[in-house]
Formats: sequence, C-alpha cells, structure tokens
Amino acid sequence: MAGALTALAVPGRTPVIAATARESAALVRFAWWSDVGVPTPFQVSAVGPGGAVLLSLIYDTLTWKDEDGIIPWLASEWGVSDDGLGYSFHLIEGAAWHDGEPVTAADVAFSFDAYTRHPYRWMSTEVIDSVEVAAEHVVAFQLKRPYAAFIEDIAGVVPIVPRHIWESVDDPIAYSGADRSVGSGPFKLADYDESQGAYRLVANEAYWRGRTVVQEWQQFTVPPEARVQVLQQGEVDITLSTDASVRELFGGDDRLQVFETAPLSIVRLAINTRRPPLDQHAVRQAIAYALDRQLIAETITRGPAIPGSAGVIPPETPWYNPSLQQYAYNADRARELLGGKRYTLDLIADPSAREPELMAPMLEEVGITLNVQQVDAATRLQLLADGDFQLALTSHIGVGGDPDYLRRWYSGEETNAFAQGSIFDNEEFARLGEEQAAALDPEERRELIFRMQEILAEELPTIVLYHRRFYWAYDSAVFTPMETWGGLMNGIPFPNNKLTLIDS
Amino acid sequence: MVAALCRLLLRYAVLGVAVVLLNFLIPRLLPGDPLSFGSGEGTGPAVPLSGAAKAELQAYYHLDEPLSRQLVAYLGDLARGDLGHSIERPAPVRDLILDRLPWTAGLLSVSLLLATVTGTALGLLAGWAPGRRLDRLLVSVTGALAAIPEFLVAIGFLLVFAVGFGWFPLFGGESVFADYGDGRTGAVRRASNIATHLILPAATLVVVGVSAFVLLARDTAAGLRHAPWIVVARAKGLPARQVAWRHVLPNMALPILSFFGLRFGALLGGALVVERVFGVPGLGLLAYQALRARDYPLLQALFLLSSLAMLVANLAVDVISLRLLARRGVLHG
Repeated sequence: MAGALTALAVPGRTPVIAATARESAALVRFAWWSDVGVPTPFQVSAVGPGGAVLLSLIYDTLTWKDEDGIIPWLASEWGVSDDGLGYSFHLIEGAAWHDGEPVTAADVAFSFDAYTRHPYRWMSTEVIDSVEVAAEHVVAFQLKRPYAAFIEDIAGVVPIVPRHIWESVDDPIAYSGADRSVGSGPFKLADYDESQGAYRLVANEAYWRGRTVVQEWQQFTVPPEARVQVLQQGEVDITLSTDASVRELFGGDDRLQVFETAPLSIVRLAINTRRPPLDQHAVRQAIAYALDRQLIAETITRGPAIPGSAGVIPPETPWYNPSLQQYAYNADRARELLGGKRYTLDLIADPSAREPELMAPMLEEVGITLNVQQVDAATRLQLLADGDFQLALTSHIGVGGDPDYLRRWYSGEETNAFAQGSIFDNEEFARLGEEQAAALDPEERRELIFRMQEILAEELPTIVLYHRRFYWAYDSAVFTPMETWGGLMNGIPFPNNKLTLIDS
Repeated sequence: MVAALCRLLLRYAVLGVAVVLLNFLIPRLLPGDPLSFGSGEGTGPAVPLSGAAKAELQAYYHLDEPLSRQLVAYLGDLARGDLGHSIERPAPVRDLILDRLPWTAGLLSVSLLLATVTGTALGLLAGWAPGRRLDRLLVSVTGALAAIPEFLVAIGFLLVFAVGFGWFPLFGGESVFADYGDGRTGAVRRASNIATHLILPAATLVVVGVSAFVLLARDTAAGLRHAPWIVVARAKGLPARQVAWRHVLPNMALPILSFFGLRFGALLGGALVVERVFGVPGLGLLAYQALRARDYPLLQALFLLSSLAMLVANLAVDVISLRLLARRGVLHG
C-alpha cells in the first residue's frame, strides 16, 4: 500500500503493465445486468456501474489506476500547491479524439465547466471552483477546499469530452447527434441497440496510448435467469455472478475460468441512530453480537464468508484498518447488553433479499423481534431519505476506492443510496472527516482514516453483515481479467480495466 | 340503439379523462423519485451525486415545480400529442414506445390468436361430450395451467428448452448486431431469427392464456348441445363435424370474441413478466424498467397507452354486446 500511496504524492510514475505483446482477440462479448443508456457522460445511466465502466472504454480521464495504484493518463504529470487548493495537470501530447482532432487543455477546461451546468451523474465535481487553460497543454484547477480524493475520485473518474463537439450543444442531456459518443479512448461506439441494451464498440486503431488488442467489444443486457448459461452456451465471453458456486461450476474447465475480485461489494444494515431504542449504543452492539454474520455470509454467497468489518472499509483494500473491535457472534453477550429487555424493530429490505429470514431467528434468540417490510429499491431509498425507518438492509459497491466516502455518507453532502439513511451524530467523526479530506500527507491521512474506522466500529451507526466478491466467469481464450488497485475508478469490482484491452 | 351507443360513448369519454388524470398521479404517488437511482442487486447505484447537482437535475426535469403546474404542462403537451422526454433515457417517450411497440404487438397478437384458436378447439372437443374422460382431462389440465404464474412457466420453459436442450436462444428479441445480408434472403433470415427468439415467450403466454378460452368454449358448447336447432341438425343425421362447424361454432363466436377483448388486459400483464424473463425488448420490459427507475414521463405514457388499449378493447366488447342485445330484441320482440 505504501508504494501505491506514494503515487499520489509523486506524479509521473510510469505504469507497470505486462510488457509481453498479447494475442489479439477479434471479438469479446460482455454480459451486464441492465441497459446503461447512451454512452456519453451527459446521458449515461447512473444506475449501477455498468455505464461508468463502458464510458471508460470510449473516453479517457486525466489519471487512471493499474494493479498497484494511480498512474498518469491524459495527464503525464501533476502538482498541487502548498495550500492544497491549486492543482495543475500537464497533458501528454499526441492524444487525439476519435475524429482526429487533438486533445488539448481547452477540452479539459471545457469538460469540467460543462459539468457544473450538467452534472456528471457518476461523480460530483462540486468541489472545483474554477478550471483554466494555463498553457496549450497545461490546465489549472482551483478547488473550493483542499480535497485529498481529488486525484483518484475526480481526475481518475470524470471523463474528458471534446469541446469542438459539445460547445455548440445547448442541451447535452437531449442531444442526439451522431457525434455524441466521440471520445479519445481505446474504443469507438459503432452501434447502440437501445431497445435491447446492446453496445458494439470497435477498436480505435489510432489510440494514442497503444495498440488495442481486442478488435471489437460488445456489451449485452442479459436477464438474471440466464446470466451464467449465456457463457456456458457460448453466447457471451464474460459474465458476472455474486454466487461463489460458479467456481465449482467452471472448476476443471481449461477455457472457462472464474476471476474473483476483492470484496468491494458490501451488504449492511443502516441504522437510524435517532430512533429509540437504536439511539442506545448498547442496543446497536447487541444486534452486532446477535447476528452470526459468518453464517449469513456463507449461506447467501455459498462460498467462504468475509464477515463485515465494523469499520466499513473492506479487508484486502488499501485503507482497511485490520485492528478493530469486530463483534464475533456471541448471543450471551448480546443478551447481557440488552439487560433482559425485549424489543421489536422494523427492518426494510428489498423483496429479493434473503438475509432477513436468516437474521430474524438470530435476533429473536436474544429478545429482539424483527418486523420485516420488503419494498422495492425506489421505495426503500425514499424511506431512507425521509429518515422513516429503524433498520434498513442495503447492498452496494463504492467502498474500495478513496475512503472519503466515509465522510460524505454522514455529512449529508451526498444524495445517493449509500448515503441515504446514514444518520450518525458524532462530533469527533465529523471533525476527522474534514481533516482527512484536507490531508495531503498520505501517512497523516491514513491515521485519520484508521481512527474514523475505530469510531465506526465502536459506535456502529451501520452494521456490515458481510463483504462480497464479484465472481467473473470468462473465456480465457479471448480475455485476461485485471484486478485494479482499490477497484476500477471509485471502487468498481469490474475485471475489464482498459489496460487489459490494450498493449501499451 | 343510437341513444344507447351515445350513452356508451359519453361514459367512455368520462372514463378517458379520469384515466389521463390517474395516470399522471399514480407514478408520482409511488414512493421514490426518478433521481434517486435505485437499483439493488448488490451493485447499487454508486452515484455520489451532490445535493446541488441533484437540485440542478430536478430543475432541468421540472420536478421541483408544484404538482398542479406539472399537471398543466403535461396536459398541454398531451394536447399537442407530445408525450415528453424520458428521464432515465435521453430520448423522447414517443420514440421509445414506437421502437418497442412492434415487439409487444407481435408477441401479444400471435399468442392471443393461438390461445383463442387452440382454446376454442379444445373447448369444443371437451364440451361436445361433457363429463366424459376427455372433458375431465382437459378441464383439470387447463385449470391447473391457469393456476401457475407466468413467471414460473417462463422460467420452466427457459430451463428446459433453452438451457437444457439448447433449442432456443437464452435471451433477447433477436441476435443483436447479426449480419443478415441484404434483400429478401436477409429479411427471411431476420424473420426466422426473431421467430426462434419469440417462440418460448409466446408459448408461455399461450399456455397461461389458453385455459380461460378452453373453459369458456367448453361451457358454451355444452350449453348449445341442447339448443333446438342443434337437436334438429343432429336428428337430420348430419355428421358431427358438420354440426360442429356449421351450427355450434358460429354461435360460439360472439361470446369468444367478447372474451378476446377482456383477455387483452390479462395478457398485457403477462407480457410484462414474460418480456422481462426472456429479455424481449417490448413495452412490458420497458414498463418494468420505467417503474424501477420511477421514470414519470415514460411511466405515465405507458400507463396511458395500456389503459387506452383496455378502454378501446372494452368499448369494442360493449358495442358487440349492444348489437347482440339488439339482435335478440329483433328475434324475440
């Protein structure tokens, strides 16, 4: 991890990629769960990470990540001013848009300016005060406040769009011109079948970063019932399961293999700490002790369990604090904490969630009756946003990348599903959150983040049931999966980092 | 007859207005909103959208305005034939619907037709000799089929015929990005590709929908057996097949036709489930996606379309019944 963090402080590190020339594949077909909208930053769907990842194949960002950390991308190097407010990026020369125009500092400045009027739905750029072209290939950012996550979460996530196409477009959300998906990335959008949620990308032969080793990339929307079968029957080359049993299914198959990501998906209970009896610290701790999270995780993922870390940040990721209080299953301790009192608690969960039926008897055992209401995702989000709940079961990704999300969840700054229902009034936690966001020294920031995890583990404003891996089953003849440091972009457990699709 | 028809049309006009208002209100009364990006399934929406950015988007889609003003704008647009712009997808609602309509219309018409024809034929067979073994068998089998939810039938078909035997594709309405070639051969190739994709979804709808027709046709046929003209036809020594074709079937046509209209709604609901399981890009799948995303403009247009379709189907049934009543009046009056 130390090496990776140095990359933050010392820009300009050259990326480490396998130097051997890889075999080209004519076509790779990728199955995802939903249509992801039109692949432009203004129109892509923000439901699930499928859209943001597809965009990364067509567009580029200032920085990127490989297996070990942050690497230069459109920006060859960058620097930050002493007060942490000014960032300047030196762009590489020779990068070009799909239509042949050069990528310049003006494009970068234009992109971030456009996002102030038409927000990029995958990442907030609200912290940026202004962006200016300092020289032909130098762009200067001024932030509203120091922001340590800037390089990974904004420079490494927000796509740069071509000014010459978008500057004359009044309404980018409704724009339907044929050039709307012109990017500078390794692939060009050749076809999008909106009704079937299918995409056809062809290699950008003139990619500035290196030769594309996959000639054509297709992405399909596959219904849940057929997700694994489509690979077995050869209709796609890469598919996803969260069920560990796919490892046995493809075990012994030389060609079809399974790639396990780091546990970047999280299943947790959001707790309304303002509602009695959950405002009592002892009750929250009792719930944590009462739940056999090992058993819940094993039962549902049908694989080796990774019980939830009480500090939220998953193990096997760069910011994980390994020495926290972890509440191993202990029903006696739970009863002791409840002091013989009985409670009835409401839990809201998705209709497909199976965790509640496992949790109910465990909690009953210690004197807590669980009243489960299963509602659809939109309803759940509404109840969470209104604070109209006691316990809510939620599962999501976004916990692998920069740890600033710990602050954002509880600061009320974010409006997404992670943050909703995050109610935690703790002055020290809020103060540490502000401090780490401004801390530019990696070691100092690490200490602050570790301390924040300790507070979470002690106070339990959320109880993580388990961490979950994504199991990507793939055809090894055409695709080589890649684990990205802390997950792709802001912690997305996808195996198709564009580095594995090019030979640079 | 004319006065009755006018009353009928007036009633439908009032209903139509109520439907438009309800369709505007219902999506907005659902908990949740189009900018919360709910998804579930373990990946969740990872949208670190700031409050300010969300407010921008709300203003862009006019979601920050009072409901009354949104309603007035909606009615104005509707009067001009403008169904608005989808929130989840950057496209006009009209285009999205027109794009999907052929899939659902094709799927529904084929399966409704097959269900009606097969159901009537089987019902006639059963009702011809009520109480016999064939009758009992058909009634219990179709009764059992009617009790299985579409979802299970669809999954069963998918598992057996697509996964197990591998006879049919696993998902989609056609092979995307396939090169079918030009001209007539290309068109034929594409049509047969679509057909192989739609056989299982259509079969599901037929299996689920056929039982109602079997039971209706059986009861009608059984009742007709003792009608005087049938007794006469039989007494004349006409072959059974001729009695069935010439005398029983024409008299079954009206009730079956009316029922055809009524089944439309149920099939529309079935299409929603079936399209989702098989990934057929029709209106049902679009509605499912729009509902999950709380995409108000798209939802209200789809609700409007389906309720208008229901209204028209029912109006047709009512007009047919009026004619039927009028004929009876002539016969007996």
